[in-house]
Amino acid sequence: MFKYILSRIGAMLLTLFLIMSLSFMVVRLMPMSLFENPETDPEIQRKLEDKYHLNDTIPVQYFYFMKDIITDLNFGISVKIRPGLDVFGILVSRLPPTILINFISLFISIPLGLIFGTIAALNRNTWIDHVISVLVIIFISVPSFIFGSVLQYTLTFALPIFPTLYDSQAVTFAQKMHSLCLPIVALSLNPTATITRYLRGELIENISSEYLLLARTKGLTKAQAIVRHAFRNSLIPISNTLIGMITGIMGGSLVIEKMFAIPGEGGLLVKSIFAGDHFLTVAVLIFYSAVSLVTILIVDLSYGIIDPRVRVGGGKA
Amino acid sequence: MIYDRNNLPEELLNLPASDFEALYQEDIKDEKFQTKPVGFFKDAAIRLTKSKVSIIAFIIIGIIIILAVVVPPLSPYGFNDQNISAKYLPPKMPIVEKLGIMDGTRVLKNRKVSGLSDTDRYPEGSIIEYFNVVTAKGQEMCDVRVDAYMLAGMPDGEYHWFGTDYLGRDLLTRLFKGARISLLIAFFSVLTNVFIGVVYGAISGYYGGKVDIILTHFAEVLDGMPYIVVTILFMILFGSGMVSIILALTITGWIGTSRLIRAQFYRFKGREYVLAARTLGVPDRTLIFRHILPNCVGPLITRAMIAIPGAIFSESFLAYLGLGIKPPNPSIGVLLSDGQSVLLQYPYQTVFPAILISVLMIAFNLFSNGLRDALDPTKRGEE
Repeated sequence: MFKYILSRIGAMLLTLFLIMSLSFMVVRLMPMSLFENPETDPEIQRKLEDKYHLNDTIPVQYFYFMKDIITDLNFGISVKIRPGLDVFGILVSRLPPTILINFISLFISIPLGLIFGTIAALNRNTWIDHVISVLVIIFISVPSFIFGSVLQYTLTFALPIFPTLYDSQAVTFAQKMHSLCLPIVALSLNPTATITRYLRGELIENISSEYLLLARTKGLTKAQAIVRHAFRNSLIPISNTLIGMITGIMGGSLVIEKMFAIPGEGGLLVKSIFAGDHFLTVAVLIFYSAVSLVTILIVDLSYGIIDPRVRVGGGKA
Repeated sequence: MIYDRNNLPEELLNLPASDFEALYQEDIKDEKFQTKPVGFFKDAAIRLTKSKVSIIAFIIIGIIIILAVVVPPLSPYGFNDQNISAKYLPPKMPIVEKLGIMDGTRVLKNRKVSGLSDTDRYPEGSIIEYFNVVTAKGQEMCDVRVDAYMLAGMPDGEYHWFGTDYLGRDLLTRLFKGARISLLIAFFSVLTNVFIGVVYGAISGYYGGKVDIILTHFAEVLDGMPYIVVTILFMILFGSGMVSIILALTITGWIGTSRLIRAQFYRFKGREYVLAARTLGVPDRTLIFRHILPNCVGPLITRAMIAIPGAIFSESFLAYLGLGIKPPNPSIGVLLSDGQSVLLQYPYQTVFPAILISVLMIAFNLFSNGLRDALDPTKRGEE
């Protein structure tokens, strides 16, 4: 097991390294000088370029780029959006709303998906199942930003229940949640539908399996058999979809944050792309990569908790 | 008496045929096959056509593709014909306009009642009704429903079915031109992904050993890179445009396909028929493409079909981030993100692309689900 964890972490670091190298290419190999400005005194310009090692050869620049990030999380400075400010500082200051909506969406959609999936599986081929299946197809197919637009128009403009944009003056948690409601709903629909679909399929397969019949024969009630055996076994493949779901929510939140003017990482990323502030873009992207890599790692390692077979096998290794 | 089989006496070897007599006189009455054999793909086709949902989805996809091909050249407006005086016109469609929707009217809020008779601002007949009259600061204010086409001085018989955008471009033409571009991006990116995936997976699965270990690890590392991050980085690096979108969607898109193909090759390369072919001296190339690859066609088709809505989604996602297709070319995503910025004032600009992309995605998902069930060999012959 220890060896397995190590190899996973190794692969993860290698991936992160690749992303950072790619980021370096984006930042330094773009055909533009970061400080090009005809009004700048050439002397000052030269000093600026010296300070950021822009006059060194590419490999040396690469070395400094990597060293700065690894040793003191220095991603450079913002050039366009908040000129002169440290990119990492901006990144951290934008963190809370993003974490809030991503986590809440995830923690709403998992239980909801499990509930709906179970309901659909237990009422197989009845109207309840059909309604859920139709909704699932719609929510899986239609992108979250469409739901964002629809919700924004109907529930903030036509029927003004929620504020149209994020209320940056909100002080209390309730106020904040009120203005974050719609983005969270828009983000949760797709993952909820994904879990519902998978759980329905898995549960139906497990309910008609022979080991469940055995469980019933040995005297468990139907509810006991389903909860203890079928449900538990159905969770194993679902934890696999969790990775895709989390990256999906994060991707969706990029657009949704822009749509509802939430001052989070997504909005920052979009703004920096539009403004051409590549240091900032790269920092946000590396942040996103780190989060998703850690997620993959956690999901991989948490197999053992859900699936006892992995746990036993892990003990021997 | 017992004869040695290899040393039969002469008289036994040369027995005349007339000495023998058939024990059974009648013919063997085996029935001939009345039906044609049903092959894998025929069976899949039969099962696919039996599923109503798949058929409907297929028809919808077909209609949208036909519209995307036919509408832009047939439309009286070019997709980039700008007409500043016709900007922000609401949708107006013949026949439907009589129902009270899409009739080219718009409500202007808080106008002075006294100003309504000014024919310079409101040409004759452009005001349809006014309501909500309130008096504020001694001025009578009201909301006016106007014929936006007359207000903009459009000649009679001018119809923009889906309205116009901020440059007065016809949105119907732009929408289907955009659908064409989005679909092209989707098809080509999926095609590239399948091609790379097949070659990579085939090499990795067929040769195995060290080659396989290296290739698999490389794919694994690449696969760990979040798809969004890689796509955005590549789009920044290459600049916006159709080719770079297709490339960006290919960077990590092929890994799933290659994994599938590799697994299939591992399953089939040890089979007797492959060994037999190899014994007969069939070269690797033929073994890979002629003998093993056809086994993967079913899952491959399914996978490609599922990937298409994903690519359409990614394209519009990139457009939202400002990394879409180069203007003035439209794509569904570009139209959506343009519409989003004026959503509250001109919702019609978002409605039509939103409906189109939703219908397209749902149809593709339903069709690929049907296809997956039809091509699933474990469900074969169930009907």
